[in-house]
Amino acid sequence: MTTVRTTDHPRLPVRDKAAAASRAWSGVSPMLTRLAAEHATGVLLREHGTLHLHDGLVVHAESPSAPGLGTLLTARGTLSSEEWQRALADAEDGHGIGCRLVEGGLVAPGALEVCHLTALYDAAYFALAPSSTPGRFRYGTAHRFGPLHAVPVAALERETLRRRDLLRRIWPEARADTAPLARAHPVAAPALTRRRRAVLDRVDGARTAPDIARELGRPAFHTLVDVRRLTAAGLVRARGEPPPPVVREPPVVLAPPVPDPHITLLRRLRDALEAL
Amino acid sequence: MPGGAALIDWTSGLALGTVGDSPGGDQETAAVEAAEIARLAAEQHAFAPDDDAGAGAAGAGAPADAGPPVEDLIISNRDSYHVLRFVGASFDGSVFLHLWLARAEGNLALARIRLGEMAERLVPA
Repeated sequence: MTTVRTTDHPRLPVRDKAAAASRAWSGVSPMLTRLAAEHATGVLLREHGTLHLHDGLVVHAESPSAPGLGTLLTARGTLSSEEWQRALADAEDGHGIGCRLVEGGLVAPGALEVCHLTALYDAAYFALAPSSTPGRFRYGTAHRFGPLHAVPVAALERETLRRRDLLRRIWPEARADTAPLARAHPVAAPALTRRRRAVLDRVDGARTAPDIARELGRPAFHTLVDVRRLTAAGLVRARGEPPPPVVREPPVVLAPPVPDPHITLLRRLRDALEAL
Repeated sequence: MPGGAALIDWTSGLALGTVGDSPGGDQETAAVEAAEIARLAAEQHAFAPDDDAGAGAAGAGAPADAGPPVEDLIISNRDSYHVLRFVGASFDGSVFLHLWLARAEGNLALARIRLGEMAERLVPA
């Protein structure tokens, strides 16, 4: 008999904008909020990534944890890596690489914009992660992708918080986001989708989630979603983490020998009758 | 004209772009709800047949020519039509177009064809 499994994935969170606005400050970086308010142009360097600002809007983001635009474009065959390298070299003269790719007919404008926005939100998720060191801002540095799509700081912060919420709902433990991943062997493995199986196939005890994202040419956040679901399903665990304890039967608590209340009552009754 | 369209990523529920009105009033909420439906369809074996069970380990991820697991979803209600069209694997199969139009003025068959063309234009073969 086959068992029917319904999806156990939690719903995607929606951030309550009214509630966020009523709080005094709902952002993730006070410095970024201030830079947006003063319409700053430059580069914000944070512990886990970099945000490029133009006139207070985020035009580009990079993070060592997230695959860059080049990886996303080349991994799926949209662009060959030679074409990307050539465009990157040509763009040194300040001409935006995005414009160059579109003008050269290498990438459709829509496709480039989708990939760029995906990469931007993906890298910003890591760049805006809580950090242990303060960020630094360099004013007036032009970023090299040229003016593509710009994202308001508030929208980016809201999306980043929503993404954190989404991951936490799938599986609350964040260790697997950065640690090398190892396979675990659950008692009953659930059926996997093609996308998730591709991630699981690359779990080898050494690769981390960002490594797998780069290899697959997928956004790192999307890979984190898959890794956390695989973790929740018991198929993957962060290395260095003790394997989940075997669920034992709860120990049988032996009740202290309490005399049956009825017998006690009967005895007392008998004693009372005998005493008459 | 009542109606609109959005390009949404179904893994995160993020609207990458929107035009026109949003169904239900709020664009972010509409995107998240549409992403929920799209994800369910794309991940259930009944709707998204797993055609390459043996080829999972070959190459970097799905082959570039493999289409998205689902082509489109159509939802109709009392006053509107919704068409969710999955965009090709160039975006990792995690992006779809969501078009909604008023039932009184909209032509579902035509909308479905046009949306398919738009999805293909976004990802030139």
